[in-house]
Amino acid sequence: MSKDKLKYDVIVVGAGMAGSTAAAIAAREGLNVAIIERGVKPGSKNYFGGALYTHALVDIYPDFFDRKPPLERPVTETGFWFLSDDGLVKATVQGGVVNSDPIDAYVALRAEFDLWWAEQAVAEGAFIIPKTLVIDFLYEDGKVVGVKTDRPEGDVYAPVVIVCEGVNNLLTQKLGLIDHDIKVSKTALAVKQLISIPAKDINARLGLPDNNHGMAISVIGDVSMGLAGLGFLYTANSSLSLGVGVTLDALQESGIKPYELLQRYLEHPAIAPLIKDGQMMEYGAHLIPEGGWTTMPRLYTDGVLVAGDAASMVNALHWEGTNMAITAGKQAGLTAVEAHKKGDFSAKSLSTYQDKLSDLFVLQDLKQYRKFSAFLKNHPQFMDIYPTFINDALGMFFTGFGKPKRKLYKDILRSLTSRRPLFKAIGDIIAFGRSIIGI
Amino acid sequence: MTRRFWVFIEQDHGEMHPVAAELLGVANCLVSEVADELKASGEEAIVEGILVGHNVDNVAKEALMYGAERIYQVDDPAFEHYLNRPYTEALTHLVEKHKPEVFLIGATTLGRDLAGAVATSVKTGLTADCTKLEMGPFRKIEKKLLLATRPAFGGNVIATIVCKDHTPQMATVRPRVFETPVRNPKAKGEIIQESFEVTPEMMAAQLVEFITDQTASLNLEYAEVIVSGGKGLGNPKGFDLIKELADELGGVVGSSRAAVDGGWIDYAHQVGQTGKHVRPKLYVACGISGAIQHKVGMQDSDYILAINTDPQAPIFEVSTLGVVGDLYDVIPEMIKQLRAQKGASA
Amino acid sequence: MIHLLVSVKQVPDTTNIRIDPETGSMIRKGVPAILNPYDAHAVASAAEWKKKLGGKLTVVTMGPPAAEEALQECIEMGADRAVLISDRAFAGSDTLATSYVLAEAIRKIDQEDHVDLVFFGKQAIDGDTAQVGPGVAIRLGLPLVTYAVDIQEINEEENFALIVRKTESGKEIIKTSLPAALTAEKAIADIPYAALPDLITSLKYKPEVWSAQEPVAYDVDQIGLGGSPTMVAKSGSPEAHEPAETINVEENGLAGAVETALGKMLSNTSVAALLEDQQ
Repeated sequence: MSKDKLKYDVIVVGAGMAGSTAAAIAAREGLNVAIIERGVKPGSKNYFGGALYTHALVDIYPDFFDRKPPLERPVTETGFWFLSDDGLVKATVQGGVVNSDPIDAYVALRAEFDLWWAEQAVAEGAFIIPKTLVIDFLYEDGKVVGVKTDRPEGDVYAPVVIVCEGVNNLLTQKLGLIDHDIKVSKTALAVKQLISIPAKDINARLGLPDNNHGMAISVIGDVSMGLAGLGFLYTANSSLSLGVGVTLDALQESGIKPYELLQRYLEHPAIAPLIKDGQMMEYGAHLIPEGGWTTMPRLYTDGVLVAGDAASMVNALHWEGTNMAITAGKQAGLTAVEAHKKGDFSAKSLSTYQDKLSDLFVLQDLKQYRKFSAFLKNHPQFMDIYPTFINDALGMFFTGFGKPKRKLYKDILRSLTSRRPLFKAIGDIIAFGRSIIGI
Repeated sequence: MTRRFWVFIEQDHGEMHPVAAELLGVANCLVSEVADELKASGEEAIVEGILVGHNVDNVAKEALMYGAERIYQVDDPAFEHYLNRPYTEALTHLVEKHKPEVFLIGATTLGRDLAGAVATSVKTGLTADCTKLEMGPFRKIEKKLLLATRPAFGGNVIATIVCKDHTPQMATVRPRVFETPVRNPKAKGEIIQESFEVTPEMMAAQLVEFITDQTASLNLEYAEVIVSGGKGLGNPKGFDLIKELADELGGVVGSSRAAVDGGWIDYAHQVGQTGKHVRPKLYVACGISGAIQHKVGMQDSDYILAINTDPQAPIFEVSTLGVVGDLYDVIPEMIKQLRAQKGASA
Repeated sequence: MIHLLVSVKQVPDTTNIRIDPETGSMIRKGVPAILNPYDAHAVASAAEWKKKLGGKLTVVTMGPPAAEEALQECIEMGADRAVLISDRAFAGSDTLATSYVLAEAIRKIDQEDHVDLVFFGKQAIDGDTAQVGPGVAIRLGLPLVTYAVDIQEINEEENFALIVRKTESGKEIIKTSLPAALTAEKAIADIPYAALPDLITSLKYKPEVWSAQEPVAYDVDQIGLGGSPTMVAKSGSPEAHEPAETINVEENGLAGAVETALGKMLSNTSVAALLEDQQ
């Protein structure tokens, strides 16, 4: 057994969306890259709703669709569903701008997709070391020169380490890039079920013309029982993903258990018929970093770059996380390549990573949406009063036959004002606008 | 031509294993299923027991009482303790001499060690851990074949296997899958001594020492009341509560595979497809979800009570009665009420 | 130098099997293929002894090309050489045909480098028959110790091994001359957490692939479907049962629920008689 050190040009921690992308880009430029993944296979530790966004995927592999990736249905209809305790208002859009070529988003299943995405990185020349956990860093003169893993003889050296460890960013904390552990008010726990339903039944129940049409829905209202959070619904080929995500502190304070939230959602009178006779295939949960800009660590230091969930790169309103991870992963990979060319792995040299991200939607949006998750928490009326009002308002409007309309409109207004004074409601709308514009 | 339906009479130092009796019952059933063929062909069918051991005359007599018409006995000091090679060679010799049509062996530790070796030695087919055996038609073959049904893939699939061109058609059956037939103390039958020479080469492995185990007294398979704990206990200490209820009901403690795999309790307590097959009068499943491979091991129990917090747990599909609640609340309450009832009737 | 050999199998992880309700067949998608757990413990034990005595460890498997992953796991645990016996002609093999294929492969390996002890896992978790180990042992004329929970000694000079066998009533200590064969329980050894260099070596390792003709010329009548006396006549899902009558503690209160439950149980005469016997 050779006693030489294990050495690579780049070490990537985590074979998720960010990690496999960073590795692919660096390997493509000829660097010797190792990805150290704690799961048995890439993807075994990842979970989401959810949908992947085409722009990021083809940015990495222009021939992406020719490679026959394992995707589920394209998202041809998307929007919001507002749930009251027994009602549902659907506000979705299909066709028009949504009907682009290729479609902008595809529903996916992470265990399958992440494995495939990692295999593309291997095809570029990256080497994956699975079933191994990175537990610390190796230093020389205060600079990171590699990682320690939990295996015997488990030190691996590289002049640059790209940390894509995911939401539970212990290594990022160890590096001192952030001075706190994940915050319960800025982290959501999302639980979901994957329910198997024959494709034709999915189509019939959701009004989809065929198996080549799919939906990605953000659900707001009764789904989170007044707690700050959102629900979701995604159509896979022959299964539905339904889930809900709520901040940890909301769960702690309310004492509501995540599975209770999910069960209630699935039993909602408008939701239950969609999953009737379905077979539960999977039941899982994952944390989502929702603090964005407010919980973002420093993104680099001597010998280290951080990308993806570990760097809080998630826009909770737009469900953008995987594309931010891919984009950041790509920039991290390119930065590592440049650093090798310069022979300079110092923080100053690696700072171009942050500059690049600032020019892209990633940091721009994270900055803009930095107030959003706090907004939801401080405005629970968006999860209870307003979805209920929307249901009542539309319901009353469309059943007001034979009623004098003046009175009808007064009643509708009162269904709002009896719950929230009008001026406050207007203030809420303005506040919402500000939270998404970022002012 | 006589059609021979053989049963291996397992014994341990002069005591017949109950599974042999169960299999004799099955063999007689199989014979009755070919009655029509026998009538048409004029052939006879006979259930015979194969006994290998040392000083086992009483076992031969026992076997006759459970339905064997004839016993072939190989009695020699070399066979005092079970060893794979000499037993395999002896059985191979007998099979080649008498050419049985069907050969059943109990799927005990000994049986599973022996059956695969004999089937290979004789170059025939063997189906393991059968839950159902019958003689039935298969395709265009004139004689009925042994249809051996067994669970596969952890119990998720039930498969029926046939061995159509080779004899004997062999099958192993776990204890307690079939009922014990009625014992007839007046049974008469022939006991034939067969000789078989064991060569030194066959004795390459030898028993050096035997250490008894306290779990030996467990006898899960023949218990009348079993209280089992599973993953829902949450931790090994939960088995203290299970034991308390078991004692109260006069039963023994069983377990699901999850609890054994978790190291909470010894494998000897495991009920299920890869554990023990049980058919007690009363089976209480506590904190057991009822995965198929557990169900397969206990679903023949006469009365099944399940306690689980999940109303959708599959265990309720095979239970007679279910209580949806936390076992840590329900069991102490149950013990309390049982004791109160006992006190009242005392 | 001691030469140990382990026969392994790659199996679907049957704890995660689901049956397609429409077709009645197994849903293979998403079910990971794993190294049979009992075989993994057998390899761990053989690797321990190889290290202790300074020797060689070979692993073999009969399987499809994907079984390469299972062999890599064995290399990770310390095997030196892995042989994948793979050929379409082997498809449909039952345990008799499988024991033939493995026995001949082991015979070939033994010709080049004498094998002292052959290990098997006690059973594969998909078939659960436990027949292949005994089948191979009898074909090779090897003394067999099944349900091995410990190896106390392997003595190269005096050519014997002391193996502890677990039975329903206790433990037997068997002394066997070598060469011999054993089937292993999980207790025989813990699965080690490999050193990183060993893991990396295993990831890059490519096993030798043997076909039905080379290097062993198999008799076609003894392999595959043609060499299998048993066949599946039919298969399907287990029958559905009448669901239980359930009493809910939340609805009836604890005392009430238990009282009702006991009442129903005792109204069953055989249960009542059983519990009466306890008085």
